[in-house]
Amino acid sequence: MESQPAIHIEHLVKTFGGLRKRKRIQAVRDISFEVPAGTVYGFLGPNGAGKTTTIRMLLDLIHPTRGDAYIFGQHVHRNHGVLRRVGAIVEGAMFYNFLSARRNLEVLARTGDHYDAARIDSLLEQVGLTPRAGQRVKGYSTGMKQRLGLAAALLSDPDLLILDEPTNGLDPSGMHEIRSFIRDLADRQGKTVFLSSHLLGEIEQICDRVAIINRGQIVREGVVADLLAGKVQLHVEADPIAQAAALLNERWPVVSVNGGLDITAAREDMPHIVRRLVEGGVDVYQAVSQRQTLEDYFLAVTGDGPAHD
Amino acid sequence: MINLFRAEWAKINGNRWVSGCMIWIFPIGAVAIMLLLGVIMAFSSATRASFATDNSGWNDMLVGTWSILNNPLGRLLLLGFTAVIFAGEYQWSTWKNVVPRSRRVSLILTKFFTLGVFVVFAFVIMSILLAVGWGILTWIAGGHYGPRVTMDVVRDVAGDYGLAAGLAFISTLIAAGFAALAGMLTRSILGGVLVSFAVTLGEAASAIGLSIIAFFLDWAPVLKLYRFTPTYNLLNVNEWIVNHQAVVMDMSYGDTKHVVLSNSMEFSLLALGVWIVGLIALTAYWFQRQDVTS
Repeated sequence: MESQPAIHIEHLVKTFGGLRKRKRIQAVRDISFEVPAGTVYGFLGPNGAGKTTTIRMLLDLIHPTRGDAYIFGQHVHRNHGVLRRVGAIVEGAMFYNFLSARRNLEVLARTGDHYDAARIDSLLEQVGLTPRAGQRVKGYSTGMKQRLGLAAALLSDPDLLILDEPTNGLDPSGMHEIRSFIRDLADRQGKTVFLSSHLLGEIEQICDRVAIINRGQIVREGVVADLLAGKVQLHVEADPIAQAAALLNERWPVVSVNGGLDITAAREDMPHIVRRLVEGGVDVYQAVSQRQTLEDYFLAVTGDGPAHD
Repeated sequence: MINLFRAEWAKINGNRWVSGCMIWIFPIGAVAIMLLLGVIMAFSSATRASFATDNSGWNDMLVGTWSILNNPLGRLLLLGFTAVIFAGEYQWSTWKNVVPRSRRVSLILTKFFTLGVFVVFAFVIMSILLAVGWGILTWIAGGHYGPRVTMDVVRDVAGDYGLAAGLAFISTLIAAGFAALAGMLTRSILGGVLVSFAVTLGEAASAIGLSIIAFFLDWAPVLKLYRFTPTYNLLNVNEWIVNHQAVVMDMSYGDTKHVVLSNSMEFSLLALGVWIVGLIALTAYWFQRQDVTS
């Protein structure tokens, strides 16, 4: 197992825009985090939160305004060679439509100077594209292109896989297959997977740790189980609802849903919440608790409103 | 580097529509012309007679083919092709897959080199097809197709052929330099074609502009700037290869005033070298700074 973290990001900042201050957009604002080697790490955030910008900096596709990105202890920009240990899909897989799937993989493998015909055949087999490997990519569905993208990312047998929305365009069975495939990469082959997605169920099912980014800043980071531990989601139907929200807002995160309130809190806070509402003169018609999902947690910490991606 | 070259070759050759319509059209066109001439010859005794008395030799056919690339019109024909090779990567969003796998400078250098080799390869085939085809037509017409093959002749032709092909490679790189730079700045194939077309035409026609400036300033050295342009130097080297003498350009800028340009082959080669290095360096520098995913 690698002793260095697979990814180490230190005070990374990316500002887009010209010289005029008004036109500048700070897409990533001083973020720092580490991805331990051999884990599946989820990178969550609403659209425009800065996920893809962070990934583009990690892959040296764009230069950070400030800060540093390291992969396996090597500075990405100063030691471009470390990217040989990385396989990636950024913002969906794009290929030469006039070439076949096999020829596309050959081109990418040769560009990376790690051409191996047997590996290409094996990857095409693994992602289920062997029967159509000789056809031009032009006729491929989005799902097939995603599978080909995964094969492309694995061409160099990388230690770190960076996947930006890898299950986009896949049907439910395809998503399940790819999820198992990704989990398997970490469990059996010891690879590190850095996975950006807005499909929270997907992240919850396969990731060991997550970082949540919102408006260019990391708002939470940790082991998925720890983040969700002890937290429950309480759905309350009460009248008047505005008064109920006002009573709870100062102590717990509250979201209005379908005329009721969703409150994220520790399980032992539940009686206090109900008592507070009753003592505040609010009629409580229903209070239902359920284990908090990553989606609930995500909504609670990100709030709403996109920034820039 | 060999792998990078093979990857670029697969991309260029794999884009069959583009390489077929813009490059392979030349050797295919040569075969078509030969076939057409053969058909005409079958029905026209006058054409047969003209072939029988034609003095063109296989050496002229081999070396003469390269003059297509070594003039401004030939370079204009290459601009569309080069723009697709460079700007296409933006339009297809494929840079983001390719760039992390290799250093940007080596990618750009290999692209230029592969493109040049590809074009020269197609023209080598074309020159052979023309030389052989013309020979067959002359033989059918009962004419003489010389010169007689001796070691001296082969050595002379090989020398001229190598120089002409080398010049075509240089000419391709200059066309590619303009188109690549324009394609990368505009990130569009059409933009790349239009801008590089305008720049190439403007550069070739700059003699007129320089004459006007020299006339108004009444200052001859302005006209001498034309001796540094790719167009003049490509024509000049071609003239040195074909006729072993310089292109003498008599540029007038008044009723009686004029400047005569005449470069040595070495000077022209140096000037062309500076253009190529400059254009490729500028393209690489620009590419190095670009966000290739936006």
